[in-house]
Amino acid sequence: MIEATTVAGDRLDSFPQYAPDASRRDEAMGRDGSVSPAWAEIFESCRHHGEGVLEAWRRDAARTSRERGLAYRSDSLDGTEEGWTLDPIPWVISAEEWSRLEAGLSQRLLLYSAILADLYGERRILDKGLVPMEIVLGHRGFLRTLHDLPPDEHTVGLGMTAFDLAKDGGGRPFVLNDRFDSPYGLGLALENRTVVNKVLPDLFRRCQVRRVGYFFSSWFEYLAGRSPSDSPNPRVAILDSSPDGGSSEIGFLANYCGIPRVTASDLTVRDARVWLKALSGLEPVDVIWKTNAGRDLDPLESSHGMTAGVSGLFEAMRENNVAVASHPGAEVLQSPGFYPFLANLCRELLGEDLVLPPVATWWCGDPAARRFVIDNLSSMVVKTVGHHSDFRTRYGRRMPREDLAQLKARIEGDPGRYVGQEELTISTIPTSTDHGLAPRGAVMRTFSFLDAGGIPRVMPGGLGRVGTADGVIISTRQSGESKDIWVRSPVADEPISIARQVEQGRIISPEVVPSRTGENLFWSGRYAERTDSIVRFATRIIEGRSSGFSYDHELDAEHERALVKGLFRIFELGALLKKAKTPDERLDRVLRDETCPVGIAANLRSFHRACLAAREEWSPTSILAIESACDGWLEESEGVAPELRIESRLEALQLNLAAFLGLNLDSMTRDEGWALLDAGRRIERLTMLSGLLRLLLRSNATGTIGTLLNESVLFVSDSLRTYQSKFLTIPATPQTILLLLGEEDYPRSMRFLLERLESVLGKLPAPAKGTHPAELVGPMSTELIGFLSENFEGEQGRPGMESNAQAYLDSLLGRLRELGDLLTKSYFSHVGNPT
Amino acid sequence: MSIVRYHIRHLTTYRYSGRIDLCHSLAHLAPREDEGQETTAHRVNVSPAPDFRAERLDYFGNRTNYFAIQGSHASLEVLSTLTIEKPGTAAALPSAGLSWDASSTTGKLKDDSGIHLVNYVLPTHACPRLPEVEAFLRPSLCEGRDVMELAKELMARIHSEFDYVPGATDTSTPLGRVMEQKQGVCQDFAHVMISALRSVKIPARYVSGYIETLPPPGKEKLQGADASHAWVEVHAPATGWVPFDPTNDTIPGNRHIKVCHGRDYFDVQPLKGIFLGTGKQALDVEVDVKPF
Repeated sequence: MIEATTVAGDRLDSFPQYAPDASRRDEAMGRDGSVSPAWAEIFESCRHHGEGVLEAWRRDAARTSRERGLAYRSDSLDGTEEGWTLDPIPWVISAEEWSRLEAGLSQRLLLYSAILADLYGERRILDKGLVPMEIVLGHRGFLRTLHDLPPDEHTVGLGMTAFDLAKDGGGRPFVLNDRFDSPYGLGLALENRTVVNKVLPDLFRRCQVRRVGYFFSSWFEYLAGRSPSDSPNPRVAILDSSPDGGSSEIGFLANYCGIPRVTASDLTVRDARVWLKALSGLEPVDVIWKTNAGRDLDPLESSHGMTAGVSGLFEAMRENNVAVASHPGAEVLQSPGFYPFLANLCRELLGEDLVLPPVATWWCGDPAARRFVIDNLSSMVVKTVGHHSDFRTRYGRRMPREDLAQLKARIEGDPGRYVGQEELTISTIPTSTDHGLAPRGAVMRTFSFLDAGGIPRVMPGGLGRVGTADGVIISTRQSGESKDIWVRSPVADEPISIARQVEQGRIISPEVVPSRTGENLFWSGRYAERTDSIVRFATRIIEGRSSGFSYDHELDAEHERALVKGLFRIFELGALLKKAKTPDERLDRVLRDETCPVGIAANLRSFHRACLAAREEWSPTSILAIESACDGWLEESEGVAPELRIESRLEALQLNLAAFLGLNLDSMTRDEGWALLDAGRRIERLTMLSGLLRLLLRSNATGTIGTLLNESVLFVSDSLRTYQSKFLTIPATPQTILLLLGEEDYPRSMRFLLERLESVLGKLPAPAKGTHPAELVGPMSTELIGFLSENFEGEQGRPGMESNAQAYLDSLLGRLRELGDLLTKSYFSHVGNPT
Repeated sequence: MSIVRYHIRHLTTYRYSGRIDLCHSLAHLAPREDEGQETTAHRVNVSPAPDFRAERLDYFGNRTNYFAIQGSHASLEVLSTLTIEKPGTAAALPSAGLSWDASSTTGKLKDDSGIHLVNYVLPTHACPRLPEVEAFLRPSLCEGRDVMELAKELMARIHSEFDYVPGATDTSTPLGRVMEQKQGVCQDFAHVMISALRSVKIPARYVSGYIETLPPPGKEKLQGADASHAWVEVHAPATGWVPFDPTNDTIPGNRHIKVCHGRDYFDVQPLKGIFLGTGKQALDVEVDVKPF
């Protein structure tokens, strides 16, 4: 039990000695060194646990994040490839302070909602000159094509918004930034809350932190309520437009809320309705929560040559067949060009004084404001009003004189494009570092939306971000540390879990596996097995080199040549053997080639890509296995990690792949997605096994070489031990074939693999037209049984067995390819690729 | 007052090397009704027949047609036929009563169709602000010159300094390239002229339409046959919008038939399609303009 003494108002003369910068305001400690009441428990807990606790908490947080798969996130607040680490020390805010902030945020939400409705409706704020026209009309996010789609009570207006707040030296809060087109940071905030809650459960309880679950559940209720269809179970999907594997925080939100994460290519518009291409066919989508800019949404109505996106989506919106959150034209509101005019807009549109001011901003299109900005350029932050991608925010304080002159010329050349903003000296909060708690400038990203009744809902908390030791500015583009935000409450909140709400039927989105997810699961399974087989090949080759199999170098070399040739031929890369002539060159392709289909690295990359594209399907532990497999091998290939013997590296990779494959067996729901993963694994094993046996049959080797090759084939197919215990003889071709083709109840035999493949494919829904893929497997099994009974007498092969085996394997490979094509046609590509 | 009448037939054909499973299209083929010309008949026939169609007005008041073909198809034909009549007038150049260097301070907010004029002064994707365009314009910027006189000289200079070379550009060719190679087709010349005028804050817009190309006896055949045509309109408070055709160095009159207008080509692209399927596409456009 922790002593509940308080340090509020006390000075801290022992650990954690916290010393804010005398020239800046600190949120936790007054200038006289007294701790503010909201932070008392945090300091008390540090003091109670003593030195070392910060490090322990950090370690704990890092481990929890990693276990949840968060440490590998590759997205940041701007979707750039930089991550945010988590500081477990939260940003604590008192109930009184929060209620003041909440009032300001609520008003801001109503104000921007009114601006949005006007801009896509009557545009009176332009007629009245409340905002200079070029700020709106010159913004790339003002979508003229939506002029006839103003948000109203039935459609989504602002949707989820993000407002960034910071406080100045006097403790006044200011808005620094707005986000209207995507929930960047919302998933991160949720992740941080989950992790910090696990690391500091007692502290969390004692501080009576307000819970965020209710905010999320009302958001999903709101989204589902926007559905234009009469269906009692509207389908809500979150549209992830991040490149490659998708954003982990969007995957996290999708998982948390139990809605499918879809990409633009998963969606298609027919009859001005939006459909999800799913394994079960085309499924209607009623509500889309988009996470990208509206101008990237519908290529048919974008004004320049974009082809990605969902063609026809705006038409579906006009026909009121789908609701899109947020309004795709909301991005225009992100212009800092509104800031100088906001107080006036607030009076005109809401009849109120603005509560929460934006950071002081001057629009250079106004001559007096321009002079002011130019005269004070070295202390200004300069931004464009139109979010033009060719200009990055400039910080005058950090610019050398000649750059300032250039910036001045640029502003004067086209002044209406720029604003200057005051650079705030923002207040600091305690942040854990290697040397105890240290003050760091902090910005808070808050999240809010207007519910169906037009009532503002503000998430109690948000995403805190702190800068580096010397940094005053916290740019969303720069990496830094993030924090959970604790809003204190006089009474303890009831915990609320989205999962429970789903159970209670309040939030329902029918289960569906998008085709893309299914396809990526299928390929995750294939690439995992394929990589595993190549690793076994490599292990066998290296083992032969280091210890030899036969006491005869010539024989060992010949065996290795045959093995490597066989491997290359499995991938139809026989031609490559002419380029890579020496055994070392060939092995190097396998171990290090990043692009060659026979290279471990190339296959791991494909495996990684497929896994990440289906991120929400994996358990945190599976993610860990995926990342360990890939990082371990790929990083060392790039020379980052210390030298390890190649054998142990191969072993580690094999272990990680085995962990991944085993985990899937244990932890995945046996749904259609799992069926495809499993089918992928089995098809790949069958293909590799056919290739291995063809290698054996084609070599026609006898004597020691024959034995060695038999051993190798058994080794690569992980069957050497089974063979030895079954036959008690040195490996020979007929027995190898008998075992690997025909052994009953043996998971590595073709017979078993085919039986399982047929049953697992049976779990897939019947395709809209044509043959069910499961029906293709039966003939493969029948043919196998026929081959075995005709060609074997006990354990002995009849004459001609070997050439019949070759014919069977050739036919099997053809049928497997046909099966792959049928799966693609039936489940993955409801229409072809965009041209 | 005489009346001129035209039959126009505008056929667009897409042929695909593979099959197309889904096609979404947006057409700007219907003539505006507020331009002093009357459309007495207009049809857009699409083959194969669309599964879904919708008509509406865009931001600039142009009529647009959305249609979707949801079955597999190997070719697509869009045939727009229209009959237009308009009062025959002699093309004349009005005076803006305003010099180009005073244009930005006139303060008129909207044009007669209710569109904020700022739309036509700001740069766009196809008409960006370019130093080379500003440099091209500079020799024409005599102090105190009337806006319409400036536009007329600019039109003449574009006509004489740029070569009309079909195929030299396509719709994705950036303006900078057009300036560099001094070659292009009607939409490039329109974009050059628009960008130049906007650089001195004169509102200018892009006009899509057709031109009668059968030469009257003794007259030269005008360029723009076999394709839709594009020209420019320039705004001054006293005159409203005044048309200029830099491709032919002429003030459009009886022989120009206007369809739509916008900030640049992409606002009024006659036919835009997003196709889902496999294979490559080949595009063919035929336009006939017949007086009757």
